[in-house]
Amino acid sequence: MTFDLGFIAQHLPEVIEAAGTTLMIWAAGAFCGLALGFLVALGRRYGPAPLAVLLGVIVELLRGTPFLVQLFLLYFGGPFIGLSLDPIPAGVLGLTCYAAAYYSEILRAGFDGVPAGHVEAAACVGFSGWQTIRRIILPEMAVLVMPALVNMTILLLKETAVLSIITVPELTMVTSAIGSESYAFVEALFLLALFYWVMVEICGHLGRFAELRLARTGLVAR
Amino acid sequence: MSWTLFLLLVKASGLTVAISAIAIVIGLTLGMVVSAGMLSPNLLLSMPSRVFVSFFRGVPLLVQLLLIYNLLPLLGLNVPSVVAAVAGLSLCTAAYQAENLRGGFLSVPRGVVEAADMAGFRPFQLFWRIRVPIAFKLTLPALVSEAIMILKSSSLVSVVGVVELTRMAQDLASSTYKPLDLYAAAGGLYLAINWLMAGLGRLLERRLRWGRA
Amino acid sequence: MIAAVSVTGLVKRFGQAEVLRGIDLEVPAGRVTCLIGPSGSGKSTLLRCLAFLEEATEGAILIGGEPLGFAVTPDGRRTRLPSGRIRAVRSQIGMVFQHFNLWPHMTALGNVSEALKTVRRLGRSEADDRAMAQLRKVGLQNRANLYPSQLSGGQQQRVAIARALALEPKIMLFDEPTSSLDPELTGEVLNVMRALAADGMTMVVVSHEIGFAASVGHQIAFLDHGQLLLRGTPQEVFRKPRHARLDQFLDTYLDRGAAMLL
Repeated sequence: MTFDLGFIAQHLPEVIEAAGTTLMIWAAGAFCGLALGFLVALGRRYGPAPLAVLLGVIVELLRGTPFLVQLFLLYFGGPFIGLSLDPIPAGVLGLTCYAAAYYSEILRAGFDGVPAGHVEAAACVGFSGWQTIRRIILPEMAVLVMPALVNMTILLLKETAVLSIITVPELTMVTSAIGSESYAFVEALFLLALFYWVMVEICGHLGRFAELRLARTGLVAR
Repeated sequence: MSWTLFLLLVKASGLTVAISAIAIVIGLTLGMVVSAGMLSPNLLLSMPSRVFVSFFRGVPLLVQLLLIYNLLPLLGLNVPSVVAAVAGLSLCTAAYQAENLRGGFLSVPRGVVEAADMAGFRPFQLFWRIRVPIAFKLTLPALVSEAIMILKSSSLVSVVGVVELTRMAQDLASSTYKPLDLYAAAGGLYLAINWLMAGLGRLLERRLRWGRA
Repeated sequence: MIAAVSVTGLVKRFGQAEVLRGIDLEVPAGRVTCLIGPSGSGKSTLLRCLAFLEEATEGAILIGGEPLGFAVTPDGRRTRLPSGRIRAVRSQIGMVFQHFNLWPHMTALGNVSEALKTVRRLGRSEADDRAMAQLRKVGLQNRANLYPSQLSGGQQQRVAIARALALEPKIMLFDEPTSSLDPELTGEVLNVMRALAADGMTMVVVSHEIGFAASVGHQIAFLDHGQLLLRGTPQEVFRKPRHARLDQFLDTYLDRGAAMLL
């Protein structure tokens, strides 16, 4: 086996563009997923019972089935119910829903982690419901859920690779396509693995750094 | 959707269960060894273990599977794709289980270990009779959710040509033009297996209560 | 007669801190030696060195005349003994911990029989019979199949004593065996220890139970700041006029009702 990396140099612009796509999709999925997940968590915690139950079922479905099956259902099944999406929008939508389900569970645990006494104390000094959420619950929660959120977000980066199967032109798809064209599939996969590995390690360290900073504010209950 | 199609899916989910179960067992065993390695004071043991865990947790499973599937023939190992798939899943889950168990091993109370030391246990007796059961019990919830995770992740082995549940649904969907039905049914089957595993996990947790109410 | 335990020039340092500063102590066989002293005096560290759970920085420990852990050559150098010899010497020592340290995944019977099976290689039924006999000794034959989490603190400590006794040690070490018990549960543990002492077991006890030390102990060793200040029979050590440091130390215990025993 020869290990020739020359092919990658010839295709550098495409690889860089694909890496950009991966990062964009990741960012979009994480951001939208977090926002949606927050709404879901709020709905399950404070919404009317039917809504809470419905959201609970949807979350359970999304968390109980493989991401790939969800993507297939959306991308190949969508057109049958009038939802024809191109690969990238389909990928972002799929990733967002998947992420929202997991984020909402993390946030829900965060809501539960805020001591009831603190909420009662806020009510006593006359905070409104929204004020209580914004001034008391969210800041306390942020510290509690930070590690899990960081973990999930890193996991999401790795999940973007799955989007290659529904032909989203992200890094995994583009790199392996170049690899097989250049008869250097294994080399391409090695580089690909290296990229994700380095990215995940960097994000992991940044996450731990952020947790430490947050911990230093003294909010963390040890 | 016809019964024939559904039965084909059910049959294929047998392979999904088999692949996942083997990967879970290998992954747990290997994970235990790797986590012990990570905690070893010997750098020659701890460094490779740490790199192993970092790599297999840092690279998408899909990329790992493609890599193993394409690398094995180059190394002169012409194994069926199922074997490559199981190998990939096992290595990946081993890394996650190793990290889980590492936390468990660190939480084994020191005094309990000292008591075994005083009773004359040799290191490997102490490891298997005292450290492993306690660490296992402490990390059981995390171990079970990782097992469920690997069940879901096993859908990715469809890309290396293993005709398990997801691949079967894919094949049937393209031949019948009923992707909605087939993927929904596949999802339902995953959910069912998932609940079964969660139930088994709870059963195991009850067995390992050790007298606690 | 060879002392059951003999300690000479024992020094233990943790980094900069010198916890034991040259301890010399003889523990006669078949007698109860009580180590007392304020917290931080080094008495628990001394006991843990006797169990080889801590390795002393300098000095020597002989168990029944055999060196524990290190051999000291005449010119004062120490070499670590092979692990087989360390294990052989340690097998004569039983230890009871402050926090019981029972194995949570085994029943009371399992805790007592486990080492008989894995270490002593006894068959299952023989190990269980012996374990049961030990549980009977500490009055817990009816609790054999309960897990530690289902036992009271006093019962857990009695199981821990049975577990140590099952291996038939020549010396029993007790590290504050009643300190983590509710006051009403200390009695049952102390009674077991009294019975053991009456049987002629060689015991070294670190305890804050001055009353127990005065009534059961044959030898009292008072430690302060890592040094052995006083050593003798209870009558010698507690007789007035007492050593100033001991007096000061005892003051904190007199109000616990121990005064009448002294």
